Amino acid sequence: MTAFLIQNMAPLMFASLIVVMLIGYPVAFALAATGIFFGLVGVELGLLSPALFQALPQRVWAVMSNDTLLAVPFFTFMGLILERSGMAEDLLDTVGQLFGPLRGGLAFAVIFVGALLAATTGVVAASVISMGLISLPIMLRYGYDRRFASGVISASGTLAQIIPPSLVLIVMADQLGKSVGDMYAGAFVPGLTLAGLYAIYAGGIAVFKPAWAPALPLEARTFREPSGSSGTPSLIVLVIIAVMASVAFAQYHYPQADPPIDELLVLSTAVGVGVAFAASVANHFFKLGLLSRIAERVTFVLIPPLALIFLVLGTIFLGVATPTEGGAMGASGALAMALVRRRLSFSLLRQAMNTTAKLTSFVVFILVGARVFSLTFYGVDGHLWVEHLLLNLPGGQLGFLIVVNILVFLLAFFLDFFELAFIVIPLLGPAAEKLGIDLIWFGVLLGVNMQTSFMHPPFGFALFYLRSVAPFKDFVDKVTGKTISRVTTGQIYWGAVPFVLIQCLMVALIIAFPGLVTGGLAKKAAVNTDQMRIEVPAAEPEGEIPLEGGPGTAPDTNGAEQKNDRGGATK
Amino acid sequence: MLKLCLGVSRAIDSLNEHVGRLTYWLILAAVLISAGNAIVRYTLNMSSNAWLEIQWYLFSFVFLFCAGYTLLHNQHVRIDVISGQLSSRARAWIDIFGTVFFLMPMAIVIMWLSWPVFLDAYRSNEVSTNAGGLTVWPGRLMLPVGFFLLILQGLSELIKRVAFLRGMIPDPTEKDEGPTAEELLAEELRKERGEAAEVKP
Repeated sequence: MTAFLIQNMAPLMFASLIVVMLIGYPVAFALAATGIFFGLVGVELGLLSPALFQALPQRVWAVMSNDTLLAVPFFTFMGLILERSGMAEDLLDTVGQLFGPLRGGLAFAVIFVGALLAATTGVVAASVISMGLISLPIMLRYGYDRRFASGVISASGTLAQIIPPSLVLIVMADQLGKSVGDMYAGAFVPGLTLAGLYAIYAGGIAVFKPAWAPALPLEARTFREPSGSSGTPSLIVLVIIAVMASVAFAQYHYPQADPPIDELLVLSTAVGVGVAFAASVANHFFKLGLLSRIAERVTFVLIPPLALIFLVLGTIFLGVATPTEGGAMGASGALAMALVRRRLSFSLLRQAMNTTAKLTSFVVFILVGARVFSLTFYGVDGHLWVEHLLLNLPGGQLGFLIVVNILVFLLAFFLDFFELAFIVIPLLGPAAEKLGIDLIWFGVLLGVNMQTSFMHPPFGFALFYLRSVAPFKDFVDKVTGKTISRVTTGQIYWGAVPFVLIQCLMVALIIAFPGLVTGGLAKKAAVNTDQMRIEVPAAEPEGEIPLEGGPGTAPDTNGAEQKNDRGGATK
Repeated sequence: MLKLCLGVSRAIDSLNEHVGRLTYWLILAAVLISAGNAIVRYTLNMSSNAWLEIQWYLFSFVFLFCAGYTLLHNQHVRIDVISGQLSSRARAWIDIFGTVFFLMPMAIVIMWLSWPVFLDAYRSNEVSTNAGGLTVWPGRLMLPVGFFLLILQGLSELIKRVAFLRGMIPDPTEKDEGPTAEELLAEELRKERGEAAEVKP
């Protein structure tokens, strides 16, 4: 019996973990308790040193002093303020008007706004709710296919999970021991490709099933010129001017052959947007009449999200701010914007802080639980056992990736991504590295995979939120006076299916073309934003029982535990 | 006897409620300090390790001191594929089991082990190894105190579950938590768009 226990501690621990989590008690505490229980058993059996427990406080301390995780409350808070600032409504209204006259245009608008919101700070629930209450009624009114309309809304909402700055990527970077800046850079192209695939699908529907995605009728187009024209040519001219300004700036400012690509992109985009904004402001205040209403309006609604994207991603990619500080800048920007728009109330502020505090606490506690569990699990060589299992999969790299992706896809039905990230990812990472897999590529791949969990029926969160705002029963539309029938849950589920397939296609694409991720990792700019910090770039001694990290003996482990993850330093 | 316990439970709930409501303001402070750090470093080319460290002191303060508050509001994530199908009495039993065998042991062990670490830091007046960094003991103190608040809340939840099973109070997990952020957003959007208001079931 004892021999059996000693032989099989790791598999037993793993099995207990599954049972204990399924009981339905908060995961964080169940995890930690399992770790401590098996630690005691291990000490009793002579497998582990009693000093193991002395390392526990150090484990929690390492979580506390983790700069990267600070981004979690910042981006959460930013999202909560932003979702109530009215920005999403303005965008959906205006972009809907812009694309509406096209067949499938409202679907394009939803995808475009979904991607834009995702790049400011994505909160899946907020995007889906806004689109479900603003775009869905219009789509239903003018005869969109219900499945297509609800599918496009849920899928576009989940873009927030993969387009930077997303919490998934932050946590993934932290757990894989990579820099958040790199993870962001790597996820950019796949995120936009995914949005592109959604748009291609919508385009296909518009061409082959025109009845599913009709254009807005004339009477529904509100931004018209007095002359009756749509005003779009004026917008196109403005866009061309802005793009030319960007290109000219890039040519003039970076004449060398090998410019720092992130910096070039960020700054020249900023110049182009600035030019368009200046033109619109001049047109508006001096009543020049050079720009159409829609051109002016589109510029004005696009400025706030673009400014926020610059504030967060721009400063991170320029190396001005660490990802954590980028989150704080974004949160401050969101506060300022809500204030200017008179949307910031005391109760909103308190509510956002309240929600953020609870989310932070439960997320970090899952991590604490996972760390306590892993202290024992690694102590009994559980990580070697898992690694051995994974490395023995047939098919080398490809076999490993396929199995892992199927595993994560299935686990995502039951676990949310924080649980996956803190419990499963640390076990997969070392095996992936041994197989020569680039961890950024691996992280982005799993990120796209986990995004699916937000939309597969019946547990997908995006579907759940869409259900909560889509019409439950038939209603009389105020504008047309016609009765419009309800959206059934079945329609929402079926609508998501094509997008889940697109998602799987994207996973396959990333596996087939790693360049989609690694191509985004620009040559390292040698800017260190954080020279002031004295850093000991040693990884946390996860693998062994860190006896040397015991209390009192090593007061400086605080420095050593800092992941060398200051965005600018490694970007 | 149980009546007395329920009084204790109410006192604990009220304590953690107040702690939570005060603590969450630190999020705003952390946001402003962190953004300030980046701006000052970029514009004035100045940086201070103390201000960098304050960020994660605040972060730790929030997640540790709100642990009990989060438990009070039943926000620690569970996997409810199975328990979601069970009756509320069965769920109360799960919570009693979990509190006694998971929450209490682990929280007590960590609190117990982290206290001497704090005392050490306090007595030796340990200072962060980062140049110009902060004194370490307040950080070390957060750990045992945070877990103590969590243990208290565990005790209160235990009392409430037992009282519920005895039929003395309604299901404590069913209490009205007020609208969530998502519900508030949906409500606001509906209000702005009169047309959608009638769509509500």
